[in-house]
Amino acid sequence: MRYLLRRTRHAVFLLFGASLLTFLFSALTPGSYFDEMRLNPQIAPETIAALRAQYQLDRPLPVRYLHWLNAVAHGKLGFSFAYNSPVAPLLWVRAQNTLLLTVTATLLAWALALPLGVWSAARFGGPPDRVLSWTTAALLVVPDLVLALGLLILAVRTGWFPTGGMVSVGFEELSPLQKFRDLALHMALPVFALVLAALPMLVRHVRASVAEVLNAAFLRAARSHGIPHAKLIFGYALRAAANPLISLFGFSLGTLLSGSLLVEVVMSWPGLGPLLLEAILARDLYVVIGGVLLSMIFLVAGNLFADVLLYWADPRIRSTASTE
Amino acid sequence: MKLRGKFTKWFVFLVLLHCVVAGAGFFAPYNPAEQDRQRPYLPPMRIHCMDAQGDLHLRPFFYPLRLREGSFEQFEEDTGTAVPLYFFTRGADYHLFGIVPSRLHLFGAAGARIYVLGSDAYGRDQLSRILFGGQVSLLAGLLGAGVTMLLGAVIGLAAGYYGGWRDDLLMRVAELFLALPWLYLLFALRAFLPLSVGPLEAFLLVVVAIGLVGWARPARLVRGVVLTVKERDFVRAARGFGASDIYLLRRHILPETASVLLTQAAILVPQFVLAEMTLSFLGLGVPEPMSSWGNLLATLQQYSVLVSYWWMYLPALAIVPFFLGYLGLASALQERFDTYKISEKSGWSRT
Amino acid sequence: MQPLLKIENLVKHYAAGRSRGSRRTFAALDGVSLSIASQTTVALVGESGSGKSTLALCIACLERPTSGSMWFEGIDVAVREEAQLRLLRPQIQLVFQDPASSLNPHWTALELVSEPLLVQRRFDRQERERKALDLLDRVAISRKMGGRRADELSGGQKQRIAIARALALEPKLIVLDEALSGLDCSVAAQISNLLRELQSSLGLTYLFITHDFLMAAHLADQIAVMDRGRIVESGPTERILRAPRHEATRSLLAATARFPETPSVLVNA
Repeated sequence: MRYLLRRTRHAVFLLFGASLLTFLFSALTPGSYFDEMRLNPQIAPETIAALRAQYQLDRPLPVRYLHWLNAVAHGKLGFSFAYNSPVAPLLWVRAQNTLLLTVTATLLAWALALPLGVWSAARFGGPPDRVLSWTTAALLVVPDLVLALGLLILAVRTGWFPTGGMVSVGFEELSPLQKFRDLALHMALPVFALVLAALPMLVRHVRASVAEVLNAAFLRAARSHGIPHAKLIFGYALRAAANPLISLFGFSLGTLLSGSLLVEVVMSWPGLGPLLLEAILARDLYVVIGGVLLSMIFLVAGNLFADVLLYWADPRIRSTASTE
Repeated sequence: MKLRGKFTKWFVFLVLLHCVVAGAGFFAPYNPAEQDRQRPYLPPMRIHCMDAQGDLHLRPFFYPLRLREGSFEQFEEDTGTAVPLYFFTRGADYHLFGIVPSRLHLFGAAGARIYVLGSDAYGRDQLSRILFGGQVSLLAGLLGAGVTMLLGAVIGLAAGYYGGWRDDLLMRVAELFLALPWLYLLFALRAFLPLSVGPLEAFLLVVVAIGLVGWARPARLVRGVVLTVKERDFVRAARGFGASDIYLLRRHILPETASVLLTQAAILVPQFVLAEMTLSFLGLGVPEPMSSWGNLLATLQQYSVLVSYWWMYLPALAIVPFFLGYLGLASALQERFDTYKISEKSGWSRT
Repeated sequence: MQPLLKIENLVKHYAAGRSRGSRRTFAALDGVSLSIASQTTVALVGESGSGKSTLALCIACLERPTSGSMWFEGIDVAVREEAQLRLLRPQIQLVFQDPASSLNPHWTALELVSEPLLVQRRFDRQERERKALDLLDRVAISRKMGGRRADELSGGQKQRIAIARALALEPKLIVLDEALSGLDCSVAAQISNLLRELQSSLGLTYLFITHDFLMAAHLADQIAVMDRGRIVESGPTERILRAPRHEATRSLLAATARFPETPSVLVNA
């Protein structure tokens, strides 16, 4: 139990740190955002004055940070100048789309990586293992950007998949089944890109962890007891390898999020990515801060989930926790 | 030694690649800024040795492209005019490595422009642009990696050597940087630096931003080495002669970190080149007219380009051999130094 | 005659347990007093964990004692500011147990031996090299070996280099912390002979730390026995071997001696 508390404390620390970092970065901006805003005829001077007062831009940085932190705690993430609306609802819609993509991609990637990695480790050094090694090596050498763009061009030229957006025009009128199909088709390309980008590393790590466990003494003892092969792998090896694999899961979340940002922009998926990019180019300060913060929240939540999973899966954690 | 052979192989490969890019002026047939508005978006031209009549020529040649009758986008070869290719020919002015003025090019043609990899919207030769763009992207990656390694080394040395609250604080911050998704960090940092600046300033900003984001892992690794070395008796002995902290750091501790730093550099450089590409592709990096692999790809964001002009994708592939070379080098270095054991069996690791 | 080194009631505490919240300390040295006369060899014998190495480090000024006093040549060195210590350091040198760890494996023999001179900024490069070669001669390492890296040398050769290095600054006192314990018997014998010869030719004083009574008996004029951070018995070698008083001494003797007559046989070596 103490372990979980410790991890939660750690998660909170990460969040605070991330928010502080982002806020500090924003302090780098030369000149006041509101100077730029004042030049924008669409925004009324009263709004500017109100915002200035609200965000206390004349106060020193620590005060502004605390003030902003307080606002965030109340769910008010600021105001978007470009969209002329509060930030939070704007982010939330996009965040859902990003979550849809990243969760699907994560599940799919692990669903593929686990069996491939285990199979590869079980047939260590054999032809299938070597083919897999070469394939993952080849994929590793091709970075996400190249992969995503390549896939996009392929899709455009073959016309098999829609090349942008989340849903087709006239989505509303479709039946639930057709809606599902439409969404799936739109999701296919970005998910495929994300999975291809994440798969090589995952497969390699699964393979390495499982191989290491398969060679361990206790497993050889189990084999000599005549325990059938399949049970050996799934009942014993996988559970023993669970610890590093779950840690890997937590670690891979950060990379996945970065990857999803890029893929969303390239494939025009309406998630946090394109919003963030737009906001940066439009100097929409609070959208940027809010967007970055939201992605950090996802990351931290994902890591915490991994920690809970680890706690549940690995009895050693439960017992050592008390001796900490 | 077998391991040394591996290292040399990759190292030579990388050096060759870098030489090609560094000598872009020589290898590229044209000045990358040279436009030809009459010939926008031409597809790559084929080089022939056998002409339409079936005769074999010793000197390779090409047929210039012309629009097919009744089409706006389909091209065909104009088999009437065969334009020969010359090697080691004189062409546009350039400065080799920025210093030596020269007019010598690997190949060129007289009478018509040859577009080996096609042309862009302004009729600029893509091959030349890719080669010159590589200079910018690679330089950004190398410089960024330099900044990161320097920062990481200093922080790692300070944290490891002095310990105490400084160590705790620095490592907490490092943990923060490591845990957060790098692209978001990079965006956040880049977002708040001035956006509409000239190419040179933009380039420097990109280098600084990239360098500031990636220091955490090298710092942690360096710190690990320092912690171990600090306790070694030869450091104690040197202190027994009256050595100062700076002497110990410089002559005993720093050399021990070399293996870690080298391996990290090999892993980070391609990632930083990629970071520059990503930033420039999205419009946050190096702006036109300076070309980098990233902003060469930016045209692909237009749907029309995506559909019709597939050769505009080629700059993306330019980075692949570099990734291959650097990752191979990193793997050879890791084997040699046995720095981290993700697992000996896993071969490469891109951590 | 005043002793070369005199320590009185030296105490050294280390923090033990988790750094966060725990204030338990562990006393490695619990009030150690010792006198070492000039040009003699004092052996400090004790089991692992008795505090011998801690004492060595304190004497060599590589660790600061928690309390207590230390006089070197009659001068109180309890003041211990780094600038003043710098003047003192050349006089007291330390030879460690494991030369693989005490010599930087990437450095050559010459570099290692001349390092003290470099750090103390004495002489210029050529003069340093000449002195280093002289030192190698003294410890019977051939000059050709000078260019070899430390990790290419044998254990015995490495320890000779370590000794040569300790001599570089012309110290008065050399502390040898289990310096022969890691070597083969024959090699250790050679090196102990070398040490004796150096002592007589250079007028050195040794503090020889060991867990091996045989070694101590072979080399030392005086033996001090250490147990759990204190010196429980000390006196001339012969007396200690013939008539040990403290229980710790007796159990150490019993552990090392194979035959009852062995100690007295060794004394005559």
